[in-house]
Amino acid sequence: MLKKKICMVGQFGVGKTSLVRRFVDSIFDERYLTTIGVKIDRKDVSVDGKSLTLMLWDLAGEDDLAQLNVSHLRGASGYILVADGCRASTLEKAAELQQRITQTLGPIPFVLVVNKADLRDQWEVQSSQVAQYGWPTFETSAKAGSGVEEMFLGLAAILIRSHAASEAPGQ
Amino acid sequence: MPTDGAAKRPAADDQPLAELRAILLGPDRAAWESMRQRLDNPSRRAEDVASVLAEAVRLRSDAKLRRALQPLLEEALQLSVQSNPRMLADALFPIFGKAIRKAITAELDGMLQSLSHTLEQRFSWRSLRWRWESIRTGKPYAEIVLLRSLLYRVEQVFLIHRKTGLLLQHAATDAAETKDPEMVSGMLTAIQDFVRDSVSVAEGENLETVRMGDIGMVLTYGPDAILSGFVRGVAPRNLSRVFQDTLDTIEREKAEALHSFTGETSEFDSCRPRLEACLAGQGKPGERKATSRMAGALLFGLPALVIIALAGWWIYSAAVERRWSNFAHRLSSEPGIVLTSFEKRGGTHYLAGLRDPLAADPAALLYAEGLPSDKVTFHFEEYHSLQPSFAAQRRLVELKEELQRRAFRFPTGSSAIPPEQRFLLDDVAAQILSLIKAASALGRTIQIEVRGNHDPAGTEQLNSMLARSRAQNVEAALISLGVPAARLAAVPEDKERETCAAVKEEERLFCRSASFRVIGVP
Repeated sequence: MLKKKICMVGQFGVGKTSLVRRFVDSIFDERYLTTIGVKIDRKDVSVDGKSLTLMLWDLAGEDDLAQLNVSHLRGASGYILVADGCRASTLEKAAELQQRITQTLGPIPFVLVVNKADLRDQWEVQSSQVAQYGWPTFETSAKAGSGVEEMFLGLAAILIRSHAASEAPGQ
Repeated sequence: MPTDGAAKRPAADDQPLAELRAILLGPDRAAWESMRQRLDNPSRRAEDVASVLAEAVRLRSDAKLRRALQPLLEEALQLSVQSNPRMLADALFPIFGKAIRKAITAELDGMLQSLSHTLEQRFSWRSLRWRWESIRTGKPYAEIVLLRSLLYRVEQVFLIHRKTGLLLQHAATDAAETKDPEMVSGMLTAIQDFVRDSVSVAEGENLETVRMGDIGMVLTYGPDAILSGFVRGVAPRNLSRVFQDTLDTIEREKAEALHSFTGETSEFDSCRPRLEACLAGQGKPGERKATSRMAGALLFGLPALVIIALAGWWIYSAAVERRWSNFAHRLSSEPGIVLTSFEKRGGTHYLAGLRDPLAADPAALLYAEGLPSDKVTFHFEEYHSLQPSFAAQRRLVELKEELQRRAFRFPTGSSAIPPEQRFLLDDVAAQILSLIKAASALGRTIQIEVRGNHDPAGTEQLNSMLARSRAQNVEAALISLGVPAARLAAVPEDKERETCAAVKEEERLFCRSASFRVIGVP
């Protein structure tokens, strides 16, 4: 059984918890997020015939007052950077977080998620802005459910490939 | 290389060749020479290896290198300890000193826990059972206490990768209420981070126990893994040691897999039996609470019951004594009774004093009070009270007795009051009036029967007529003298009186009479 720890990071209010709620049936109360700063969920997925258990660490959103608790990132195999398409500043925050995480954990797989696709006509984030980073990107709507499954499965595929590469002989 | 033939050639012939050789191979020869000298020189070779050794080890930080180095390091360590043990002791002191202090603290905690538990059990019914078991089996009492007192059950055990918080292996009892162990292990790791971030803890300090109600958590830590368990009931202190030993074994056996863990948990399936061995327990923890309640009830309930019983008995005794006291008071205030002594000897009350025969009967008063007659002894000397009521009563009795001694005599065959007897009428009438008056003063209503009698001579019919006539004549005479008729009743014949059997005439005179009987005076 292959298991991977995945962290959901992003500015406060970008929809991280809503995305997780769309993807899994949680057993823990969401108040955990405001008390200990993290809520953990589990999702078993299968990609290309390979099973993977994703342990999703939904980290409390970073804002002016609260900083991301890097100790929760320890041991993560990948992460999901979430930005709100309606707020361009959240994309900048996502980029800033990506740099900090890379400094802390090294280069590990991740995907960028631009959420709130259901409000596309109100988006401040332009495609060109996203493209400049060159990161694997998904557009999702936690409200409508579009793109959520694909995003998680996409990250799972990246993780499986990364795992296979690290386990290959000669490494 | 030069050959012997070449050496025999003239030097002039070799000159151009040597120059050519110098031109073509000169720099290489110098380099080869330099290399040869470096290889032949151990100190220079050591310098070369030293310059790349760290990088070489970093590049080959795999199991093969570790295995290759292991015997060397062990031997070096052994030699170091043998040659200079103090150096190693100094180096390890910061680690071992702390570990030893921690172990001693844990041991003391365990002792305190056992001691308090033993004290808690000491006076319970269960402890008596254990003492009996100790006597019966010959085992020390302390051993029996340890065997029987700590009731707990390890319901779930989690082996968690320390860095990622991912669950490596999990074991649970059938009875355990298991939520998703993957998420539980993740949250557990997060909570440890939370605690560590929330309070300043020293390096190496970890969250070791968590408790909520009847459920507790035991957490033990290794370099790469955490072994934790949910424990229901009161776990013995050495349970942490069991967990730590298990974790140490797993860390040793799976060192490579733990160190290079990338998410593949199937490698830890073989650890499951070790985790299942940790699902130990003793007794039923629920039973402990019930028994503890019973012990508590025995410990505190029994003395409480005794105190309540004593208090109840004391209150009851006081109430009874109060009733006896009230009775004595009533007796002493009773007319015609003088109480001189009231005391209790053993379970019996003694009441002594003076009592007028006309006074109330103490036994009757005792009965009316509802007090037991077998718990009392009366001793009253008789005396005549000067109470006016008693004097009047006594006077009434005297008047009664005087009247009942009076009688009118009649000649044979006659019912007329003889003239020599008539003078008695005034006297008897006065007596009767005094008697009525005395009785009225005492609130009594009396009745006086005038009874006619006859001698044995004559027929029964005649005698009966004579007796009636004599009674009626006396009654009429007395009424004529002012005695109220309502208070007099002529009784034809005194049936209660024995038949007058006198033979002589002077004796028969007494038979032919009319006498009096007072009704309503004791």
